[in-house]
Amino acid sequence: MDSKQLEQLLEKYWNTETSLEEEKQLRDFFRGETIPEQFKETAELFRYFDHQKKVQLNEPSFDGDVARKINATRPAAKTVKMYYNYARIAAGVAVVIAATYFVGQEVRKSYPAEVTDTYSDPKLAFEETKKALMMLSKGFGKARHETEKIKMFNEAEQKVQSKHTTKEKETSI
Amino acid sequence: MNLEAFENRVLPSKNKLFRFAFRMLGSSEEAKDVVQEVMIKVWNGREQMAEIQNMEAWCMRITKNLSLDKLRTQQRRATDLIDEGFEVRLDALSPYENTELNESMLKVNQLIAALPEKQRQVIHLRDIEGYSYNEICEMLELDMSQVKVSLFRARNAVREKLLKMNAYGL
Repeated sequence: MDSKQLEQLLEKYWNTETSLEEEKQLRDFFRGETIPEQFKETAELFRYFDHQKKVQLNEPSFDGDVARKINATRPAAKTVKMYYNYARIAAGVAVVIAATYFVGQEVRKSYPAEVTDTYSDPKLAFEETKKALMMLSKGFGKARHETEKIKMFNEAEQKVQSKHTTKEKETSI
Repeated sequence: MNLEAFENRVLPSKNKLFRFAFRMLGSSEEAKDVVQEVMIKVWNGREQMAEIQNMEAWCMRITKNLSLDKLRTQQRRATDLIDEGFEVRLDALSPYENTELNESMLKVNQLIAALPEKQRQVIHLRDIEGYSYNEICEMLELDMSQVKVSLFRARNAVREKLLKMNAYGL
């Protein structure tokens, strides 16, 4: 590249009109040893660019660190989350089962147990039933006796009343 | 994307991502952290990224955003202790660079470091990494004219300052 060409190319460069290819040409040129004096500063700049491109992430363990982190973080988080979801469902089911069991127990307690035979011998059972019915009828009989007394009062009252009315009739006549 | 595809398509970009993060943050430690974060982010989001064409540009974009986040938190810290924060930043930059760069390169490095954020990003991606304008637009989420204007200003600012410095024999 002669000095004239270089000057033109640089002019384009400062005006941001160069292509990537042309910029590469410039970098290649300034990598050389024979740089005209008037381009000394520009050479410094291009050499700097060239040099900076070689800077590397100087950490041998970097790839390993990243690999470890992406292996460690992602799947673990996923399984934990999955277990968590299952645990939530399981807890819900357990609560429902426990609730139905306890409620059922309470309901059974509050209703009387089903009637069961108290006597195995039919004769004895008949006697007992008779006894119970007798007790009932005795009660009824007693009650009837008492109500008869009230009936007596009623009849007496009626008699008195009828007498009273006939007397009144007589006096009015 | 499986692990193999990740190792072939994403991991090899690490040096480019690192250089870019380093350009933005000025600290190799922090740049390394950012790149690692980018890798993990890309891996975790690999399902959604299946249709991405230019993986490298996508990674670069994440690098840019994470670096900006980091810079912002740094600045928040620095507003409390402005001088100290500034010193920390310069410290982080110089020892690493000193060993690697000769005097003239150190000078250019400082000039570029002094550029505004956007110009610094664009000149880095174009002149050091050699990306096309379209790729840079994608990476920085800018349109073509913004990229070109930034690059124009960056190149000419560096050029002028270099000429001035050498003229005064600095």
